[in-house]
Amino acid sequence: MSKGLKAFFIVLAVLVLIVLASFSFLKGTYNSFVTLDEAVKAAWAQVDNQLQRRYDLIPNLVETVKGFAAQEQKVFIEVTKARAQATGARTVPEKIEANNELTSALSRLLVVVERYPELKSNVNFLRLQDELAGTENRIAVERRRYNEAVRAYNVKIRSFPANLLAGFFGFEKQAFFEVPEAAKAAPQVRF
Amino acid sequence: MKGYSSTGGERPRGRGRVPRTGICAFLLALLLSAALIAPIRAEAPLPSPMGAVNDFAGVIPLPDRKAMEQLAAQVLAKTGAAIVVATVVSTDGRDPDEYANRLFESWGIGKKGEDRGALIFVAVKERRVRIETGYGLEGVLPDGLAGSVLDRYVLPYLRKGEYGPGLLNGMKAVAAVVAGDGGFAPPPVERPRQERKTSPFGFLFLIIVLILLLGTRRGRAMLPYILLMMLSGGMGGGSRRGGFGGFGGGFGGFGGGMSGGGGAGRSF
Repeated sequence: MSKGLKAFFIVLAVLVLIVLASFSFLKGTYNSFVTLDEAVKAAWAQVDNQLQRRYDLIPNLVETVKGFAAQEQKVFIEVTKARAQATGARTVPEKIEANNELTSALSRLLVVVERYPELKSNVNFLRLQDELAGTENRIAVERRRYNEAVRAYNVKIRSFPANLLAGFFGFEKQAFFEVPEAAKAAPQVRF
Repeated sequence: MKGYSSTGGERPRGRGRVPRTGICAFLLALLLSAALIAPIRAEAPLPSPMGAVNDFAGVIPLPDRKAMEQLAAQVLAKTGAAIVVATVVSTDGRDPDEYANRLFESWGIGKKGEDRGALIFVAVKERRVRIETGYGLEGVLPDGLAGSVLDRYVLPYLRKGEYGPGLLNGMKAVAAVVAGDGGFAPPPVERPRQERKTSPFGFLFLIIVLILLLGTRRGRAMLPYILLMMLSGGMGGGSRRGGFGGFGGGFGGFGGGMSGGGGAGRSF
């Protein structure tokens, strides 16, 4: 074998190696993007379920409170409006924002409730309050899981060298479901 | 979600000695670095489950604990639902309700996918009790019901500091609800605690037997054994505080079940 041919084979081998390596890197990274992205979507679906539960519960809650505190029109309108906005939201960031709005409206409603001892001791309302507390807790749980999924995804697409590919394939950073500080203590349905 | 197997770069090693090892090393490092990124998490670890009753706070007397373990095993066998009790001294600044959910998740109460599990959780210092229901029990044990179980059957005891009877009663109530679903009648829910009283007849009988026995030479020869038996029996009934009895007697209620935060919590 001449010297030139040998050099040619070495170069070829290195090229093959590089192609193979970069292919497996590409494949592994891309697939992990997909996996993480799907995890985020699945987590959001759970959040969405619980939000739906919340929307379903609110009319009932408002009706019950109305029965005891009919004059508190303002807060009922606020809650109903916020709920309508939340159910109308389409994208994830929109939903997050609308629900934070709804959270603060709900906490105002619960403040009103405090002024009606009769309502607070109503068995029907107690159950509803339990359901609401449960729903809020479920939202908190699913929100936490969603945020964990988003964090894993965001860390992945933003760290080197995966970030080069993420940009190329259009995987973008996803939004956390953050609760504004003010609303954090929100529907504190504590007993 | 870590450890993507993107270390395929090791494969071409078989082609003998490749020059320019520097390039190879670089490539390898590149590939490995992709696999090594894992989410960072810094939190105090959660305790591991020991069985149906996990009395980390040491507040459940042994008889109540035994009764709970028995009931939990029965419910699991008959209905496939896992009811687990846990007490902790404190949740160390974490929200007790969230703590309960994390405990549920990390222990995997109920079978994976079925998620028919319930966790009755008490944080002693925070004075908070919670029934956390798995996804699969949300239908039979909705939050409102869980709340009223706590109000009616558990809180009256906890307020008096009677954790054992309170939690046992709560477990019975949950069992009754779950059993309504699975066709099995659990023990009635009520004040279950009977103080260990020694029946005077039993005692009298024992003395008579002893006198009769000691009247004979053979009986006297057996005296050490009798004493030994009494001693060990007495010790079994005597220890009030539920110790950590090793591994939870093969309670099979941990199978990867999940909870989405359903249930109800109360401060007491």
